[in-house]
Amino acid sequence: MMFKTIWFRLMHRYSGVSKQRSVVRLSSSAAEGAVAPPADCSVTAEQAVRLWARHFTLHGISEPLLSSQYIISHVLGEKTLERVSRKRLRDTLTDREIERVWKLCSKRLTRMPVQYVIEEWDFRDLTLKMKRPVFIPRPETEELVSLVLEDLQLIQGESHRTDLRGLEVGCGSGAISLSLLRSIPQLRVFALDQSQTAVCLTTENANRLGLQDRLDVHHLDVIKDADAILSKCDLVDFIVSNPPYLLSQDMKTLQTEIFRFEDHAALDGGLDGLSVIRSILGLGSKLLKKRGRIYLEVAPCHPPVIQQLIEDMMPGLLYLETHCDLTNRPRFCILQKKGEND
Amino acid sequence: MLSVGQRLWRLRGPLTSLTSGHTPWTVTGWPLVLAAGKKHQIDLPLVHEEELEEQFVRGSGPGGQATNKTSNCVVLKHIPTGIVVKCHETRSVDLNRRRAREILREKLDIFKGEESELLKMRRESIQRKQDKRRKVNENMEKKRRFKERLCSEEEEKH
Repeated sequence: MMFKTIWFRLMHRYSGVSKQRSVVRLSSSAAEGAVAPPADCSVTAEQAVRLWARHFTLHGISEPLLSSQYIISHVLGEKTLERVSRKRLRDTLTDREIERVWKLCSKRLTRMPVQYVIEEWDFRDLTLKMKRPVFIPRPETEELVSLVLEDLQLIQGESHRTDLRGLEVGCGSGAISLSLLRSIPQLRVFALDQSQTAVCLTTENANRLGLQDRLDVHHLDVIKDADAILSKCDLVDFIVSNPPYLLSQDMKTLQTEIFRFEDHAALDGGLDGLSVIRSILGLGSKLLKKRGRIYLEVAPCHPPVIQQLIEDMMPGLLYLETHCDLTNRPRFCILQKKGEND
Repeated sequence: MLSVGQRLWRLRGPLTSLTSGHTPWTVTGWPLVLAAGKKHQIDLPLVHEEELEEQFVRGSGPGGQATNKTSNCVVLKHIPTGIVVKCHETRSVDLNRRRAREILREKLDIFKGEESELLKMRRESIQRKQDKRRKVNENMEKKRRFKERLCSEEEEKH
């Protein structure tokens, strides 16, 4: 194996600490731009953050400073750099820490999303394990959970029911189901995903959070296994989903982090982005209790199309409302199964 | 900057849900946690969503599934006072929004406290000035009368 050796004064140039010099070696067998940890020089956490931020910038990695901060805080046992004490930031990193930082940051150089690099991320008040290529929960989806919770709280407030049941289609890492279960002790959820890896990850996260007793996770495809779902799943009070909703034509313009590392099946919703959504709506007609609701995260172009769709093809469903996300894009659709007199 | 009132992000007063006997809920389904030793959120000034402007440093891009960004900083501005709170304490946007509002309420509390202190000082200062003016006027009056007396005594002599 050929090694290309490049020596340069990395520390001196970047951190402004004139006395320290660091020599690094680039090996062509590693990821482009990968660097070996400095062998004989001390580096503080602060310096490492700056160093790697510069390095990421040089290599066109998006969010260079944030990436550096998240990875290094994680190595130091914290979630954000803010939570690392000033003293700790100024302490030199141990050899083990340096090795870990360098290893993880090198992964980021391959454009791996930070969430996969550190193998964890937060969703509302939960910390979840992340594992490629299982879809990484998006911040918008936190608001989807809020919408569901508001309604469930109302039901709870009025009826004090202890037998609330929900269905999640496409659970991924389990973010939505587990958030709901954590907030509502009386809730039980039936979750499914067409990916076995996702099913395993959701199960693992449920166990970590002690919520496994109220969650049933199944390896099922909402389009192909509709009959199996109907036979296994009882009537539910609500269905929630962040289904693949991107249009096939938009898949190729995705940022590298997503295109290279996340499961395309969790993103691609077909020609009009509605292939999975259609199946969910069909399921809703059959699995929802009267006045049960469907909560969907969708693409901004979808709400009027979905509204038209159910008017034309699903008379048992009522379109309730469209809700915008924090960037003011139409993002969430709430539908309801009609009752007897609706 | 988005006006928060444009979305359905409703602020529910914590007191309304304390009567049910269940875990009290606040905005968007978060249980109300009272931290010991800290001033309770209930006691802090209530913030109305219509008075807030919220901004998210998420960068441009289509958002949703088509974007994977880790920036989740929340910038919250309280329009009536101009107080701005920036929060990126956690990796969750939702948590940062909640924290930003908590921090804002704490700052408003101090602000209101300072306001009443300021008013008190101002009132006292005005009172002192009034007393001083009265004293000055009295002295002037005394001097004037003394001068008058002197003048009239002078006249009597001649």
